[in-house]
Amino acid sequence: MSAIEIPIGLMSPADDGLPAGEVISRTRRHIPLTVIIPGSFLGLLILAAIFAPLVAPDGPLAGSIADRLQGVGSPGHLLGTDGQGRDILSRLIWGARPSLLEGIVPVAIAGTIGTVLGMVASLGGRRMHTLIMRTLDVFYSFPAVLLAIALAAALGAGVVSDIVALSIVLIAPIARVAETEVSRLRSSDFMEAAKASGASWPTIAGRQVLPNIAPTLLVYCTALIGLAIVFAGGLSFLGLGIAPPQAEWGSMLNDLNQDLYNAPVLTLIPALMIFVTSIAFNILGDGLRDLLDTHSETGQ
Amino acid sequence: MERFIGRRLLICIPTLIGVTIVVFITIKIIPGNPVASLAGINSTAAVRAAITHRLGLDQPWPVQYFDWIRSTLQGNLGTSISRQVAVRPLVFSALSNTFILAGAGAVVAFVGGTLLGLWGALRHRHRDGSVADSVAALTVAAPQYSVALVLLVVLTVNITAFPSGGMYNSSGGGGLPALLDHLILPAIAVGLAPLGVIARIFRSSLIDVMNQEFVTSLRARGLSRGAVLRHAIHNTLPSLFTVAGLQIGFLLGGALFVEILFTWPGIGQLIFQSISARDYPVIEACSLVLAVAFVLLNVIIDVGHALVDPRVRQ
Amino acid sequence: MTTTTHLPAPTDVRHSSRLDPGGSPSTPDTPGPAEGTLVVEDLHVTFRAKHRSVEAVRGISFTVTAGKTLVLLGESGSGKSVSARSILRLYSSAVEVTGRATLGGVELFGLPEREMQSLRGQAIALVPQDASGTLDPLRRIGSQITEVLRRHAVVSSRKEARQRAEELLAQVGIADPRRAVRSYPHELSGGMRQRALIAIAIACSPRVLIADEPTTALDVTIQAQILELFASLQDSLGMGLLLVTHDVGVARQIAHRVAVMYAGLLVEEGTGAAVLDHPAHPYTAGLLRAVPTHDTPRGFLHAIPGKPPAAGETVADACAFAPRCAFAVDSCRTEQPELVLVGSEHRAACPVVDGEVPPDGTPAPATGLEAP
Repeated sequence: MSAIEIPIGLMSPADDGLPAGEVISRTRRHIPLTVIIPGSFLGLLILAAIFAPLVAPDGPLAGSIADRLQGVGSPGHLLGTDGQGRDILSRLIWGARPSLLEGIVPVAIAGTIGTVLGMVASLGGRRMHTLIMRTLDVFYSFPAVLLAIALAAALGAGVVSDIVALSIVLIAPIARVAETEVSRLRSSDFMEAAKASGASWPTIAGRQVLPNIAPTLLVYCTALIGLAIVFAGGLSFLGLGIAPPQAEWGSMLNDLNQDLYNAPVLTLIPALMIFVTSIAFNILGDGLRDLLDTHSETGQ
Repeated sequence: MERFIGRRLLICIPTLIGVTIVVFITIKIIPGNPVASLAGINSTAAVRAAITHRLGLDQPWPVQYFDWIRSTLQGNLGTSISRQVAVRPLVFSALSNTFILAGAGAVVAFVGGTLLGLWGALRHRHRDGSVADSVAALTVAAPQYSVALVLLVVLTVNITAFPSGGMYNSSGGGGLPALLDHLILPAIAVGLAPLGVIARIFRSSLIDVMNQEFVTSLRARGLSRGAVLRHAIHNTLPSLFTVAGLQIGFLLGGALFVEILFTWPGIGQLIFQSISARDYPVIEACSLVLAVAFVLLNVIIDVGHALVDPRVRQ
Repeated sequence: MTTTTHLPAPTDVRHSSRLDPGGSPSTPDTPGPAEGTLVVEDLHVTFRAKHRSVEAVRGISFTVTAGKTLVLLGESGSGKSVSARSILRLYSSAVEVTGRATLGGVELFGLPEREMQSLRGQAIALVPQDASGTLDPLRRIGSQITEVLRRHAVVSSRKEARQRAEELLAQVGIADPRRAVRSYPHELSGGMRQRALIAIAIACSPRVLIADEPTTALDVTIQAQILELFASLQDSLGMGLLLVTHDVGVARQIAHRVAVMYAGLLVEEGTGAAVLDHPAHPYTAGLLRAVPTHDTPRGFLHAIPGKPPAAGETVADACAFAPRCAFAVDSCRTEQPELVLVGSEHRAACPVVDGEVPPDGTPAPATGLEAP
């Protein structure tokens, strides 16, 4: 299907010189690198987290003060030790569990609720639309960070309250994206046809709408996971995350920050971990967009 | 245009009301008892009851809410529990410091972002254009506190190129040069991630515009390349305003974290300290002020957007 | 800073252009035919992508005479829009354009870009289709007109520019020019926007106007008005008009000459009467019969079976229309037919039909291609 139609009036100097109406095959035959590389990295990371007892050299709490602040590459401690003498590499691996959970679960929860809200807002009539969108606006009016901090503080520290706080914060953006996508669909012909065929709303929503908005939402949510991981790290950094001495990337950051002047490089390690994981999710999102050939204008 | 501004301000009001309600409820949910910490461990029930009554905490929530709103509108934001000073001057001076930092971050983000985006767009068929885009893609995910840490570590610990904290010289003096010196690193930390976002959106928007029919139509009128580019960039401004609206949250929010790392005396620092000290009036006031500021900033951005793009004015 | 190269405007006797071969100022009313004539010879347009190139226009030639209208008629994909825009050199360097295009004796393809910029909008102008945003959505109509006027130094002051903009909008038939000048594109109807685009194009009294599907996005009644506008502007300005369209009806209304394009080549060319009433190519005949008229019997819609080849799918040594042609013989699939004279001022590229397609559109004996 490499037919090139040159539609009327759409001639424009496109980058590659081909007329703008060029249609290359809709589904790539190969999976792009932007999916493979981050996908593999994240897959390995998740496996390492799940099998932490087998993979990590030490337990997350094991260590003695005598060994504190060993540098990178010290014997027995590939990435050094923290202020309590605990092996950083092990704590990174053990810490992947809460850190990843705090990234993935809120997005999953907010994704479900947000999608439903967005669909209801768009399909449910004008009053429903106004009600939902205005309420979301209120949540949108808070800088997300502030809201997350406030909620996490209000709910008490811990992984669960972080997850709840982040879920609440992320509902609004997802709902907005969902609403935009569904509204775009609503004016398309096949929706009119579905309505005309007498199908009921829940059926239309499930069969027609959902499969069509799913790719865009999937791409958006993948990138959002990256963001959630960063947020979660930040909350933990502020002391609102998992209770010490449990391992978690953000709280490791806080710990090591206390010794910033004695061992500056060590502080960078959990920071780098958060950064790389977050970027992996972002790139994965981009790659999924290419793979699924969606047009996502929501680029963060 | 005036009607648009009026309408936009009107819509603000229910949002602001909603905001105050959310802040109020959130504060109420925080576990821990302000009365107990005020009264002391060994206080009697009578003393505690008296304090509860004095603070109005025995009233039903709606009443407390309206009382709080009333006194806020009168300018009374309460007294800080831990510092025993009036909250309002505390919060507002912190707020202005935060604005300075967030503003500087915004400058970094917009100036850097538009330049990077412009480069990426103009050279998007060539290799260095892709480099520009990749750089932007990377910075997008740069968590502001990570960047802050990196900058702290690299530029202040071993190489003392920049001061590592505070806003002015330790004596509080130094004026503008000292301020700028202390501002650079945190501003970069705050602005780096939004810079990436702005660069990508500007680049993509500019490429889109350059491919559109109306650019061809402009060229067909005999306008020079420079004039065409000017008009094309003009047409990307609306999308920049949209981005700005979305990024304000990150700029402000990021500023909060960066303040803590750089001990910048802003609202972030204040909230951080108040959370540990259970200083509810301060937390409440900070959240409220920040949220209101955010709403108003959004109004300003929307107005700017309407100025640039007449279609938005409906 | 910008160079302005002028071809003489009809009322402009002050400038003598270096492009005027005679060196003498043109007469006030109608320019000499030489200055206003656009001659295109052997135009090829190839789009280069990473792994292949697509030849959208495979060698066409035509002439647009001052004061006359040539309609370039063809379907989507025939290459007609590409031809029009490549004359103005609106494509990037990724697109290869060869051949010659001469305006009033000046070779357009050899000009440095700066000089081409002076000619665009001034000596030769484009009226684009008002599809989506051919007008800058962020600027008022008046400002877009005055910009062109001042760029080509047609006026000498801002005030004069504003006045002229209003006059132009009135000239193209906009009812309230003063208000239109202050309006944004999204505040105008489709018909008004098209008129505004025409006003911008004629602002500097061009020698030749190229209109790319100017009526496709409009209602039929507005269509008729716009075409009338073109005709009257042509009379008053003496400009040549190249009108690109797929609509046979438009051709009938306004064409002095018609050139029919198919798959990147011209298959027929001649005066309007000759081509539209006595088509000498099966494709033209098919196109004409496909338009139902009031006496088309109910239930009969004549369609040409099959569909046109996409650009890049055509073969050099065969007639591109052969697969769909009722008259095709073996030689059609092995030889590219040439455009030959089949009547006075009438050329066609079909040796089989030899000058005239039978009225019922079928070769004798009937092959049963009509609808039952």
